[in-house]
Amino acid sequence: MNITEDIVREIILEVLREMEAGEQPAGSFKEGGTPLAIKEIGVARAGVAKNEVVIAVPPAFGTVMNKTIVGIPHQQVLREIIAGIEEEGLKARLVRIYRTADVAQISHEAAKLSGSGIGIGILSRGTTVIHQKDLKPLQNLELFSQSPLVDLEMFRAIGSNAAKYAKGESPRPLRVRNDPMARPRYQGLAALLHNKETQYVNPDKQAQEVTVQL
Amino acid sequence: MKSGVGCVENKSVSVEKAQEIDLMEPTVMAYIAGVDVGNNTTEVAIAEVNQQGKVSFLSSAIVRTVGIKGTIQNAIGVIFALDTALKPLALQRKHLSLILLNEATPVIGDVAMETITETIITESAMIGHNPSTPGGQGLGVGTTIALDSLASAVRGQKWILVMPETVDFREAAARINEFMAEGKEIVGAIIRNDDGVLIHNRLLRPIPIVDEVEHIDRVPLGMPAAVEVAPPGRTIEKLSNPYDIATIFNLDSEETRRIVPVARALMGIRSAVVIKTPKGDIQERRIPAGKLVLIGKNQKAQVQVEEGAEAIMARTEEISPLVEIQAEPGTNVGGMFEQVRKVMAELTDQPVQQISVRDILAVDTFKPQRVLGALAGEYTLGNAVGLAAMVETHKLPMQRLASKIEDEILVSCAVGGVEAEMAVRGALTTPGTSPPLAILDLGGGSTDAALISEDGMIQSIHLAGAGEMVTLLIDTELGLEDKELSEDIKRYPLARVESLLHIRHEDGSVQFFEKALDPKFFGRLAIVTDTGLLPLDAKVTLEQVIAVRRQAKRKVFVSNALRALKRVAPAGNIRLIHFVVLVGGSALDFEIPKMVTDALSEYGVVTGRANVRGTEGPRNAVATGLILAHEEKRAA
Repeated sequence: MNITEDIVREIILEVLREMEAGEQPAGSFKEGGTPLAIKEIGVARAGVAKNEVVIAVPPAFGTVMNKTIVGIPHQQVLREIIAGIEEEGLKARLVRIYRTADVAQISHEAAKLSGSGIGIGILSRGTTVIHQKDLKPLQNLELFSQSPLVDLEMFRAIGSNAAKYAKGESPRPLRVRNDPMARPRYQGLAALLHNKETQYVNPDKQAQEVTVQL
Repeated sequence: MKSGVGCVENKSVSVEKAQEIDLMEPTVMAYIAGVDVGNNTTEVAIAEVNQQGKVSFLSSAIVRTVGIKGTIQNAIGVIFALDTALKPLALQRKHLSLILLNEATPVIGDVAMETITETIITESAMIGHNPSTPGGQGLGVGTTIALDSLASAVRGQKWILVMPETVDFREAAARINEFMAEGKEIVGAIIRNDDGVLIHNRLLRPIPIVDEVEHIDRVPLGMPAAVEVAPPGRTIEKLSNPYDIATIFNLDSEETRRIVPVARALMGIRSAVVIKTPKGDIQERRIPAGKLVLIGKNQKAQVQVEEGAEAIMARTEEISPLVEIQAEPGTNVGGMFEQVRKVMAELTDQPVQQISVRDILAVDTFKPQRVLGALAGEYTLGNAVGLAAMVETHKLPMQRLASKIEDEILVSCAVGGVEAEMAVRGALTTPGTSPPLAILDLGGGSTDAALISEDGMIQSIHLAGAGEMVTLLIDTELGLEDKELSEDIKRYPLARVESLLHIRHEDGSVQFFEKALDPKFFGRLAIVTDTGLLPLDAKVTLEQVIAVRRQAKRKVFVSNALRALKRVAPAGNIRLIHFVVLVGGSALDFEIPKMVTDALSEYGVVTGRANVRGTEGPRNAVATGLILAHEEKRAA
């Protein structure tokens, strides 16, 4: 059978409509929010500082998409992760990856750019990975795959755990929440958001160093 | 083996079985199996006996024990072990003419922990708190105040800010800066969130900040308080010294005396808060854990568990030889004794009343405990006493096992002889040994010793406390609450994973890997097991784990080795024993043999690991001894 993008889109919208009739949360997602005050300041270079953790985001993060799948503004996401890193006495460096919107690739790239070898990749919908440069791209130190279950408190803890890895400590991995209902409830929306995210990928553009006003 | 080892009194059943063998055609070559059912492993030796009664060993096997030692379930393990040993010989079960079982001295041990001290804070006197990342450094002394009250607070007074979790770190920092600009003196802060460094980084004038205070709502406002944060790598100096606390709060000598436990509790940590409340007090309470009644052959004595291990063991030594130990009913220790006796009663099908505790080993330990009334969920190490108790009965559960095996595989099966005595005979097959010789069997549930004199007399003893006790001590002292993990910590050395391509072993040596380790090892401690690395997921340091592990082994095995040898030594003098051979599973431990050897070298005793039959190492001593003893007896 030939499945085109249009068919998928149609099915997803169909499912979403049905769900809207029943339960609320997933259907209540509205686009919008304020874009981040983010500025690119040139090609991202590999760092040498042992006290940095690199955070990498895909092209749409904070530009055309401004909040996670459960509506947490990207500004707050970054704020909490950076605060988590700072509280542990380390520095956060932010980069934007253009060539892919895959969380494994993004976070691995962050780790390779990071002077400490520890990187964090966050997708616009909230999926997050803590990565280390010597690992294979599809491995990870910690993976938060169910984006609807990642809240602000968790983003802070992700930042602080990443910083602890960078310090050579052995943090207890965060308890990853698992909600069997998250999948049926959010899968359609997640697919739509992923679709949107990948539209902005530019395979020819290098990773950019960015600064952000939080 | 010469004759003359004739003091072993075999129980009636085995004598009968032995006679059955005697009735067999004497010229026929016979195959005999010795079986040793232990707490953890079942060991088998198979030997061939020719018409002259010459024994030659053919094979051995070792399998995991099925079920609790001494129960019918063991049969499955025994049969499996026999098959394993028979296989390379191309023999079948029916070729065996006799199976000899160890007379498992019905000994079971149980271990328990008694907490005997507990720290209680009445009112809110202090936070002896060790968050990983406090903010700022130095000492601040002032009056506690909420953020909102600061606006109307008078000038010229020093304040310690108390902040709940609802205040964001940026807002907090901004407002503190504002108040400071207005000329209000804020000299320290106590906060709920893990925001200490974040706030500190945003302040124009740094102050010491203690964060992650769990019960911030219990911090009283309007009270004199002191906040101290030490520089990284240092510990607080002022608040851990009673005279400095007295200086800060203008205490008289009586009040200073009362503050001593506070100062003591704050020693060695990086940040702390002390608040002076009208009735603030901190106490160390001793919990009555019950008493033990020691009944010896000639005398009787009582000892309180809360007096600690040293007192208990000293009294035990005085009263020895012990007949029975009773515990005060209705207390914790009473409950533990009841449990041991109940298990034993079920095991042997006897009424509980007939079962008595014969020996105990008490060990001083400590247990992480929540401080009652604390503000930040602090823990202290409460003193505790670990107890191993051992029960002996007269009825032999092994007889039931023997008939069960006989029924199952239709080969005659008999109970051979007392374990420790069999172990001596087996141990004597170690090249370079001869009587007089002592063995130490460091097992899982009990520590056994036996001594064979030049004229072949054997004396043996079973004592409470062995491998399981070590596991319990490791578990409690590290606060793991995971017996399997503690067992692994006991058995294997540790390593720190420094990168995914190399680890540093606990002795400092480095090992590299061709293939990267699994990411779950990143930055962690790992247990180096025989089958690979095992991540150690606990908030403990390498040094801590090693120290606790070694201490636990010393407290149990070294002290029990000495205690056991003293009991079998001529005139109770260990110096009169010249050779000691270690047998049993713990003799294979990576550090216990060295510890015991070191301790015994002080008595001028030559100690080493057995090498049964020159091939088996410290294993198979009992199984081997069973066959040898049987043949000697037959020859005699």
